Amino acid sequence: LGVTPELTHSMGLFDLTQTVLERALSGSAERQTVLANNVANANTVGYKRSDVDFQSTLAQALDGPGAASQGQIADMSFTPQTDTSATMRADGNSVDMDAEMAKLSENSVAYQALISIAHARLQMLSTAISSR
Amino acid sequence: MGLFGGLDISASGMSAERLRMDVIAENLANADTTRGPNGGPYRRKEVVLQEGGSGGSFAATLQGVQGAQSSTGGGVEVTGIVNDPSPLKRVYDPGHPDADAQGYVTMPNVEPVTEMVDLITASRGYEANVQAMNASKSMFTKTLDILR
Repeated sequence: LGVTPELTHSMGLFDLTQTVLERALSGSAERQTVLANNVANANTVGYKRSDVDFQSTLAQALDGPGAASQGQIADMSFTPQTDTSATMRADGNSVDMDAEMAKLSENSVAYQALISIAHARLQMLSTAISSR
Repeated sequence: MGLFGGLDISASGMSAERLRMDVIAENLANADTTRGPNGGPYRRKEVVLQEGGSGGSFAATLQGVQGAQSSTGGGVEVTGIVNDPSPLKRVYDPGHPDADAQGYVTMPNVEPVTEMVDLITASRGYEANVQAMNASKSMFTKTLDILR
């Protein structure tokens, strides 16, 4: 009898990559909300900008000896952090409009790229299922 | 915060910037008004903005106060329109009906140049919020592509 290879990262139909793609999409959507909030508060006295670093959170979960399982990754959530390193204006506001808009469009493009990849992978799966 | 949270946040930013524009227009229109609602000359008005409530949950508010973690945030809120307490201008114009015994008229503390600069800030802020809203919208539209 043939030996079935052990699937360490499999959770049925969807593999680790698909789960990570889905988490990255969720992180990117969260980041979009946080960046929009920064833009909305560009003229609020004393407001400090926030950001979501979902890429390094995901990279940490995937890398090294303490790598998370697929189930753990599927349950991951991202919390926005106040950016303490950003330079402050005289009114205590740390939103730089140009930088914010650049991040916003970068995040939007990244999100659309993630959608395209996730969609292509689902398409492949669907082709395999239909076996035509 | 649901899927359309980004749109709500940008909308709150847009309405706050538009209110700032309205108040600036009022200031400019009343730059020479010597008889305000309280009898004295008109006083320059300013909009006070505050970061919006984080959905009202106690935990989120507490975290925000502690500064350890900030919540996603709920856009921007207008907390009030306040009078500018800076001193009023005294202009020598004996022919003016509101001139005092020495011939001086107390004029509003509105500086048209300051107002114009604030108007540009408000207008650019509005445009930035529109851009952010369009970016969120194109993301949501793209999300629907995954179903195709």
